[in-house]
Amino acid sequence: MGRIFAVAVNTYRESIRDKVLYVLLFFAIVVIIGSKAIGWISIGQDIKIVKDLSLASISVFGALISIFVGTNLVYKEIDKRTIYTIISQPMPRYQFVIGKYLGLCLLITLMVTIMSLISGGYIAILGGEVNYWYFVACFLLLIKLFLVNALALLFSTLSSPILGAIMVFCFYIFGHATGIFLDLPPHIKDTPVEPILKALYYILPNFSNFDIRAEVVNGVSISMWYVVYVFVYGILYSALFVYLGVLMFENKDV
Amino acid sequence: MLSMGDERIVLKTKDLSKRYPSLKRKDMFAVKDLSIEINKGEVFGFLGRNGAGKTTTIKMICGLLIPTSGGIWINGIEWKNPYSRRSLGYLPEQPYFYEYLTPKETVKFYCQLKGMNKRECEREWGRLSEMLDLKDISDIRIRNFSKGMRQKIGFAIALVGNPELLVLDEPMSGLDPIGRKHIRELIISLKNSGKTIFFSSHVLSDVEQLCDRVGVLTRGRLVAEGSIKEVLHQEIRSVDVVLRYLEEWLINEFSASAQLVHRWEDYVCFKFDSSEIANLMVKKALENSAKLVEFVPQKESLEEFFVRMQITEEEESKRGKLYYSKLEE
Repeated sequence: MGRIFAVAVNTYRESIRDKVLYVLLFFAIVVIIGSKAIGWISIGQDIKIVKDLSLASISVFGALISIFVGTNLVYKEIDKRTIYTIISQPMPRYQFVIGKYLGLCLLITLMVTIMSLISGGYIAILGGEVNYWYFVACFLLLIKLFLVNALALLFSTLSSPILGAIMVFCFYIFGHATGIFLDLPPHIKDTPVEPILKALYYILPNFSNFDIRAEVVNGVSISMWYVVYVFVYGILYSALFVYLGVLMFENKDV
Repeated sequence: MLSMGDERIVLKTKDLSKRYPSLKRKDMFAVKDLSIEINKGEVFGFLGRNGAGKTTTIKMICGLLIPTSGGIWINGIEWKNPYSRRSLGYLPEQPYFYEYLTPKETVKFYCQLKGMNKRECEREWGRLSEMLDLKDISDIRIRNFSKGMRQKIGFAIALVGNPELLVLDEPMSGLDPIGRKHIRELIISLKNSGKTIFFSSHVLSDVEQLCDRVGVLTRGRLVAEGSIKEVLHQEIRSVDVVLRYLEEWLINEFSASAQLVHRWEDYVCFKFDSSEIANLMVKKALENSAKLVEFVPQKESLEEFFVRMQITEEEESKRGKLYYSKLEE
């Protein structure tokens, strides 16, 4: 456990120096603050729009941070050859992979916390109500980003950062629209494509499960069980992708 | 855990091979059927030209590359068990570091990877900073360091946990003469403290000075192994003789049976092909009032050995006997 912790802390310290991180964080904050401008054109709905755009901003910019930093995680270690003196240590390779993942999760937790507090504070300054459910929504977005991290880590062990980023981005887009794989147009039904798309529906993680934005913005109540279900769903999917990353890295020449 | 049956052997490879598959060409063997045994307390020099397979072998020993076939044992534990590397310290060629860390943070990080607790990490830093004189630079970020200082940090990482076996890949590479001297002295002191050292190098004079045994790798195959005396041709190949006040008629006579290398002031230097002729001629010169300044028998150096191996390789290649490198499909 000490080794995993050491790798995680080192990954966090390394990632926190990535300039991309600050550029994305800056734009996220600009969107959160700038959302008030869109609120002005919708009479009486400005707080709702600020809340909505803030949560969307945390989701999108968080995902971009996960993708850009995460797909570089293992690749950068190999490219810069810092991995040589790590893998030669008396530690199983899975400890390295899990350490890298946890380090990235630590980073993304910090980023989401910063964005959540800034957006929450901003909404409060504007006179809006920031209740408990706003932060539950932020928490579920964080769990979603843990899942994106796991995907990014998996592709980081398999491919170059650019290809990895494209793959994770595709997963991210399809993961938000898995419903279309079931709700097929008539000309696809009963064709050989239908079972493939149905299989994709069950295989791909459903990212929209993590999105309770509409409910929070409109004050619709959410069952606590749903939150627990989504939390477990996200953790299990993340564990699966991390496990696949470990398998890929186990026999990789570095 | 596999027992090798001999506790003196610290590192052993048996029929170790690494093959790189290729879609366009035939598969390439970077290392083929390599079997070596390194004894406790020994300094083993691993020699070969660029691309011979030295670094590939070292990377397999250190767990970075997965062998295609064969095995590696460190203190009797097979390579598949990561804890076999508990008694191994590795210095890569041109070591790379986390530039934002200081030497102290770097050493402590690797202490944690070795499984040490906080107190042990602190004690290990104290030992290594003392040994490698790192105290003055303990809190400076590595990004500001010169090549020589980086090599020191590389050694510190390799020595974390006081491992019995040190694997050093080109430890003198890119260093200035002072830096090389320091590293050479460090290797000697490590050898004297009982460490087993396996190192590859291109600097043949260092290998000649430091190694108890050498192994020579050519296109992935071990073509020679043993003490330097065993590997090199030890018979006298030529004798360099420098004489002073040698009369002109004797110079002409000597030139018929030796090569006149250089002549300056009243000195003359000859290269004789055999020590017997050189002895006879020197005796004759001394009888004729000349003075003997130098008499240096020449044996094969490692550099000449490499050239000889290269010529053999090229001849084999021309005759179509390239028996290694390419896997017959």
